[in-house]
Amino acid sequence: MTRRRLPEWFVLLLPAIVVIAAVVLIPLVFSLYSSFTPYKLTRPATLWKWVGTYNYEKILSDGKFWAAFGRTVLFLTIVLNLELLLGLGIALMMNKVTWGQRSLRTILMFPMMFSPILVGFQFKFIFNDNIGLVNNVLQSMGYNAALPWLVDGKLAMFSIIFAEVWMSTPVFAILILAGLFAMPRDPLEAAKVDGCTPIQTFRHITLPFLMPFIYIAMTIRSLDVARAYDIVQIMTGGGPARRTELLWTLMSRTGYVDSRMGLANAMGYVSIILSILFTIYFFRKLSAARAQIGMAG
Amino acid sequence: MKKTNLLKVLLASSAIVAAGESATAGMYDGVTIEAKLIGGQQYEGLYGRIAEWEAETGAKVDIISKKSHFEIDKEIKSDMAAGTTSWCVGSNHSSFAPQYEGLYANLNDLVSAETIAEFVQGNINASTVGGELLMLPRAQFDVSVLYYLKSNYEDADKAAAFKAEYGYNLAVPDTWDQVKDQAIFFADPPNFYGTQYAGKDEAIVGRFYEMVVAEGGNYLDENKKPIFNSDAGQRALQWFVDLYEAKAVPAGTTSYVWDDLGQGFASGTVALNLDWPGWAGFFNDPESSKAAGNVGVAVQPMGTVTRTGWSGHHGFSVTNDCANKEAAVSLVNFLTSEESQLAESAGGSLPTRTAVWEANVAAAKAGDDAFRAESLEAFAEGAKFAFAVPPIPEWGETTNIVFPELQAAIVGDKTVKEALDDAAAAVDELMRESGYY
Repeated sequence: MTRRRLPEWFVLLLPAIVVIAAVVLIPLVFSLYSSFTPYKLTRPATLWKWVGTYNYEKILSDGKFWAAFGRTVLFLTIVLNLELLLGLGIALMMNKVTWGQRSLRTILMFPMMFSPILVGFQFKFIFNDNIGLVNNVLQSMGYNAALPWLVDGKLAMFSIIFAEVWMSTPVFAILILAGLFAMPRDPLEAAKVDGCTPIQTFRHITLPFLMPFIYIAMTIRSLDVARAYDIVQIMTGGGPARRTELLWTLMSRTGYVDSRMGLANAMGYVSIILSILFTIYFFRKLSAARAQIGMAG
Repeated sequence: MKKTNLLKVLLASSAIVAAGESATAGMYDGVTIEAKLIGGQQYEGLYGRIAEWEAETGAKVDIISKKSHFEIDKEIKSDMAAGTTSWCVGSNHSSFAPQYEGLYANLNDLVSAETIAEFVQGNINASTVGGELLMLPRAQFDVSVLYYLKSNYEDADKAAAFKAEYGYNLAVPDTWDQVKDQAIFFADPPNFYGTQYAGKDEAIVGRFYEMVVAEGGNYLDENKKPIFNSDAGQRALQWFVDLYEAKAVPAGTTSYVWDDLGQGFASGTVALNLDWPGWAGFFNDPESSKAAGNVGVAVQPMGTVTRTGWSGHHGFSVTNDCANKEAAVSLVNFLTSEESQLAESAGGSLPTRTAVWEANVAAAKAGDDAFRAESLEAFAEGAKFAFAVPPIPEWGETTNIVFPELQAAIVGDKTVKEALDDAAAAVDELMRESGYY
């Protein structure tokens, strides 16, 4: 009599399956379930009350949620593009540096090493209307007014974008720099022989080679920025008057301050759509960019 | 289940006996009490005294968390959700207490009636939710009073200019309309501001709430239906809007909460400041304040109907899941004892025990500290108008709905009426969902 044995591949994968189930699958299923309940942190019994799609209906008809959603898309779009442009510029300049490049690369990564909370506090001080660095500099140059950096709708959005870009541009710079290092020299030399201008070389050779790296950086950062929380929470808390309210400041207030975890989880699931859309878009672009330079799509 | 109940009854009854007596040496040898306490410089003196209780009882206090109350609040809610509430002593606050349903023990069962009677009755009432005494009060019902820079009222040129512009004599304001006039008159942005106010979170809603009451309105009616969008509510919010539009308050005031306001007045660049009693010492201390020596304290101004008086107070609670409630109650008793309060009130905080309150007033009258005597008089007068926030678990959640709307009116995104109507509609929905009507 032979005992029925589990297939070998399954046994080998079992530890990974167990770990993934414990740390990813179970919390995911649990939070999905709780989004169909009126779960309140201070009333644990509410976890077992099923309310169907009530939370989702509430969110879908809530103007404040969609305003935060739209603002997050706007924030994401501006931040990603600015980081790309600055990161590309820095990487191209860094690539030309012949002496002390390693030290420079390390210095470049300093902003990434700070905790986002610290960066938030740093810029909250810099942009403070009364005692902040920027206004003091402006006033010492003769501008006799206190600009409300963290209050005015446009200035507040600018301030949090500035802080986010300051902290995370190095991610783009480093990934693009890696792309520049990996680039074959032959096409560049051939272009030179054929008499291409530097702009033509960049436009038709360098940039297509870099595009896969750019899209990978875009994908990673789009997921990060869509979850932007720490810096915004510290600098403006989503305010004033919801002018800088993003999805995660709204969600965290709903979940932790108002204790409405069920509703907050439902918001989380709706907002995942945003991340999925951006990821699909960038992966398609990535495949196209790879195909263009002759790599497998 | 029955066993646990029996154990609870035994523990409770032994605690009643214990609370009646003072702690005897070594009575809690080997016991460790885990505590989550409110953090901040003004509490360190009190916590420094915990070593005395440890030496006296043989127990040890392990402070597992020390944060601002807003942070402690989030942590406590997470604990409640996770069921990790076996720590024993927690800082509590009258505005937050109703939310923690089932978390804290009813101290009426654990503390002797004589001890409870030694506290100011109003504090005990405000610490009681649904008939259960949820905390022993640490500090008096704080009511904010008006701090002002005295020099503004000693300048003949200013007085004449003010009279010419507004038609009445310049004196320390007694109504909120006068505060508005004077704040606009004194303001010289960005170097000097007429006044300032808390601009976000529960802080601005509390300030708005007391202005609504001062204007003769209320926040909720007896059925818990929002009524703050009444005429009184609109007049109250208009006051905040007018000051902001006139640039009489700092542009960043919508992001300020208590610390920013305290530091602002201490910088000497704000003429009038409605603030809590706990700041008095700080404002008049040359080490911490540029306004020191120039600070006056007056009872808080009135609206068209009454004076403002939003109040709340801190206290200490014992969890239901605490393994050694007897020792925990002993610690709470110690933290709110007459000795602790005498020591604390020397730093400016107001006591909750009648005996300490009387001792303070007597000492101030007999002493040569005119500022202290002036402050205490203002605090005592101000406390007569005290009223707490509605004791419902949803108070905090309503403030999160209301404050962005108040800000929207202040910064000009909405009219006062639109903002209040939108806020009232959202609070109405919350109250319906919560089953009030």
